[in-house]
Amino acid sequence: MKEKLAAIINAAVSAASEAVDEKQIEDIRVKYLGKKGEITALLKNMGSLAPEERPKMGQLVNEAKEQVESAINEYRKKLKAKAIELKLKAEAVDITLPEKEVCAGGLHPLSIVTNDLIDIFQSMGFDVLDGPEVETDYYNFECLNVPADHPARDMQDTFYLADKILLRTQTSAAQIRTMENRKPPIRIICPGRVFRADEVDATHSPVFHQLEGLVVDKGITMCDLMGVLEQFAREIYGDDVKVRFRPSFFPFTEPSVEVDVSCTECGGKGCRVCKGEGWIEILGAGMVHPNVLRCCGIDPDVYTGFAFGIGIDRITTTRYKISDIRLLFENDKRFLEQF
Amino acid sequence: MKVSLDHLKRYVDINVSVEELCERMPLAGFEIESITRQGEGISRVVAAKILDIKPHENSDHLQICQMDVGEKEPVQIVTGAQNISVGDYVPAALDNSFLPGGVHIVAGKLRGADSFGMLCSGEELGLTEADYEGAGVHGILILKGEPKPGTDIKEVLGLDDTVIDFSITSNRPDAGSFLGLAKEISVVLGTSFKAPETNYKTVGGNINDYIKVSVENRDLCPRYMGRMVKNLRIAPSPEWMQKAITSAGMRPINNIVDITNFVMLETGQPMHAFNYNDLAKKQIIVRNAREGEKIVTIDGSEFALTPDMLVIADGERPSCLAGIMGGKESEIEADTTDLFLECAKFRRDNVRHTSHALGIRTESSARFEKGTDIKNIEYAMDRALSLIFELDAGDIIEGKADVYDSLPEDRIIKTTTDKVLELVGIDVPKDVMGDILNRLGLPTVIEGNEMTVRVPSIRDDVEGRADLAEEIMRIYGYSHIKGRPMRGEVIRGSKLPERKKADSIKELLCAAGLREIATYSFINPAAADMLMLAEDDGRRNMIRIINPLGDEYSALRTQLVSSMLSVLATNISRKIESARFFEISKRFYGELPLTKQPDEIPTMSIGLYGKDEDFFTLKGVVEAVMKLFGAHTEYKRSAEPFLHPGRQAQVYANNVPAAVFGEVHPAVSEKFGIDQRVYVAEIKLDVLYAINKRKTLYKPLPKFPAVERDFALLCSAETLVGDLERAISSGAGRLLEKIKLFDVYTGEQIPEGKKSVAFSVWLRSAEATLTEQQTEEICRKIIEKLEKIGAVLRK
Repeated sequence: MKEKLAAIINAAVSAASEAVDEKQIEDIRVKYLGKKGEITALLKNMGSLAPEERPKMGQLVNEAKEQVESAINEYRKKLKAKAIELKLKAEAVDITLPEKEVCAGGLHPLSIVTNDLIDIFQSMGFDVLDGPEVETDYYNFECLNVPADHPARDMQDTFYLADKILLRTQTSAAQIRTMENRKPPIRIICPGRVFRADEVDATHSPVFHQLEGLVVDKGITMCDLMGVLEQFAREIYGDDVKVRFRPSFFPFTEPSVEVDVSCTECGGKGCRVCKGEGWIEILGAGMVHPNVLRCCGIDPDVYTGFAFGIGIDRITTTRYKISDIRLLFENDKRFLEQF
Repeated sequence: MKVSLDHLKRYVDINVSVEELCERMPLAGFEIESITRQGEGISRVVAAKILDIKPHENSDHLQICQMDVGEKEPVQIVTGAQNISVGDYVPAALDNSFLPGGVHIVAGKLRGADSFGMLCSGEELGLTEADYEGAGVHGILILKGEPKPGTDIKEVLGLDDTVIDFSITSNRPDAGSFLGLAKEISVVLGTSFKAPETNYKTVGGNINDYIKVSVENRDLCPRYMGRMVKNLRIAPSPEWMQKAITSAGMRPINNIVDITNFVMLETGQPMHAFNYNDLAKKQIIVRNAREGEKIVTIDGSEFALTPDMLVIADGERPSCLAGIMGGKESEIEADTTDLFLECAKFRRDNVRHTSHALGIRTESSARFEKGTDIKNIEYAMDRALSLIFELDAGDIIEGKADVYDSLPEDRIIKTTTDKVLELVGIDVPKDVMGDILNRLGLPTVIEGNEMTVRVPSIRDDVEGRADLAEEIMRIYGYSHIKGRPMRGEVIRGSKLPERKKADSIKELLCAAGLREIATYSFINPAAADMLMLAEDDGRRNMIRIINPLGDEYSALRTQLVSSMLSVLATNISRKIESARFFEISKRFYGELPLTKQPDEIPTMSIGLYGKDEDFFTLKGVVEAVMKLFGAHTEYKRSAEPFLHPGRQAQVYANNVPAAVFGEVHPAVSEKFGIDQRVYVAEIKLDVLYAINKRKTLYKPLPKFPAVERDFALLCSAETLVGDLERAISSGAGRLLEKIKLFDVYTGEQIPEGKKSVAFSVWLRSAEATLTEQQTEEICRKIIEKLEKIGAVLRK
């Protein structure tokens, strides 16, 4: 009997080892372990054995069953793994075929830069405000210390819509609206669209974008202005950038300064980009003129403040080395997709 | 302001190189516009002596010259000029030489004759008559004396001056003169400065015997000074004066005119000389022009004057446009014998207004517009008389006319050093502060903390501590300012709600594959016609720009669609296959004529084209935007003239019209040069921004299964799917979870004028699994509702 069992096990295991697919393996399982299988038949025949032999034989047959079962399972697993391997091999693709495009959109480069600027100043506690694009003479000029017929008005060619109503030439108008509505401490920026009657060419656009900044509090000095602008310049141009003030004139600030950064191209040695000067002018700034504070009901003897105006288009064109500002407003998809 | 460095050295000691000067002046507030070195660009041009001249065989105008250029052998040069003779000394550009403007001279053949260079005219060397006598002559420049052949021409001509163009900011008209600049330079360099002294003698007499001066409008002419000079001896002005005038960009004329121009350049105070004998009734009247009066100015132009314009009239008619330009009639000419010399202050806004109105801008008007110092008049007049005396250009009559009401007192600023430094944030030693201000011509006394500064009228721009801070810092140096991190109360920086909402729309649309565009806020008003807007369409009432850059940019837009269509057209014309764009900007509406600021309405446009785009992809984008704001939407047919009549819709967000969109009308597309289907939407962001989005609250995930039922309906071809959905929804009630359209069909088996529409409907209860009975009951109600609008189940 023992020998017979061993022969069955051998035959079953050897058959399983030779099976080439799932069906053959299943057939082998049925042949030995199925309801009418050879091992199952041995178990069924137990009844014919002497009662004292039954436990021993039962154990032997059950062991044989387990042995065959485990062999079949093992070969089945191997077959399955083999099948998967073959399938995967057959399914290999040419990974250099073109991708199925994910139709991603994107922001206009001016928005990208504006958002970056907003992030920088918001992190320094500046509120982000907006102002109207159509302004009155009062907010755009008069209260900014540019009275009627002042020569400073020649500095900006203004689009007029009606008597004393115009397209704002600077975001500085937002300074006044802010100071009228808030009391110090004031710390705001106002990014927005501004307009000047400049003929369109590679470096001029009648529509462009500025970001106005204003801080008013007790004890605000030019060192604070420098600190904020240094922080801004580092974020935009990198940690090594140097910032310098150069005296200038704006009617709404006193002292007024032009702010230069060390040339990002040559690091200040002088190159074509900075016209050999080592510095690039990036914005105008200054301490808020006492007349402007007074006009807004803020006592210039108690409070001081600074203001600055950043040209967003300028930063955009320098950052991306865009040679012609007109590209920003032409909206060629192939241009927009680069950002 | 252009000025010759050589000339500046008459007033100020300049002990640094041109380069250093031009590096330091911008740091004190005077940017350098340009630096022109005389003789710049000239190389290998030498003085040469003409040894021989022979006519050219093959030309009737060329001559072949043998030139001594300082080398062993003579050099042959062919020239076309005729004004030369053997023995003349002339400039010769040798082989491989350069002239101003990058002109390169090389040896070559002229009609077969070798020429190893070129003989030069004054013009070719960049010279005018003022630079060198004879330089203005047509032909070769004949050199004076006998310069050694081979000597560099720059040395021979004395071309070693440098002209610097300083930019003068509009708050510093006082610096827009030779003296003003020289003074600034002296402070920056710490060197000495000296204004020329005045000194002249009269020949006696009394001006009152010659002329009567009256000022009728003292508001527009706060001071008017006049002097008489007789027996003029008109001649060219001296070379130094001509050079100074030329380097500043003006033209020398004769000694009298040159003196008035030179004094203006030197002091910043314009002057005018009248031909005394042309003044009717020997009167000078400063008055407003009378209605109908005209003047012919010295440039020969005639102008009709209006009563708001100030003129200097004689006893009969206007003789000069005050502060702008003199009249032809009383112009100083070569034979003029007597002159009346004017030195005055005119109000800058009036000069500006007249100059703009008549379109004349002169050196004089520019200075009056920027502002002149009423107290500088005296010095300028004395300086002019001193020059007339020194050059012996005429006989000065004793006495002067000087009409004014009052002269301003010096402004006294009392402050403290602390108050000044409070703006700056660094410590500047008191003695340094005082020294800088004193050197700048602002006499300052500092005692302890107290600071008293006397500001003369010429520095009218200095009003208070902020101006003092600037004056000190621009000389002390802004490099002393050290940045300090932002301090103060902690303030939370935040964005306005509208900006946050716009940002979230942008984020959504970018994720949906749209690109943001940026277009101008002003458009061509003809856009209204291109969009085929009705005559009474409110969008035709565009606010116009009074002074536009052209029609193309002359109206503020009342819609964003036309800008979007132009952008789509550009991309299509460049063979770009597809695009999905959006823009967030503003529409402008105001009552015309505009009397107050218009409404600026936040608006978004969307534009799509390409093979994957149709009405429904655009609808998907629009719906996504509406969902972002939690709006309940309804789509109704609309009638925008620029959209396809059958493929457009108006979107209601919570029952408020919030958007229109659709396929663009082919006739409109054609006007924009578009030859394919394009889709646009315009969304009123103000409507969306006003929606109070309900707070998002979590809903438990369903515990019980949904029941799905399909409805295949037959209805009129006209019936809108939306109406069918509404019927299903009202029939299903609160257990409705979702309706999904899965088929719309017309054709075989469907009667004419009908269509088949099929929906899947999901029903679900949160409390229990729906029973067969409940489901059937709901389906019955749905069918009932559908039948009411003429839709029946297909058998």
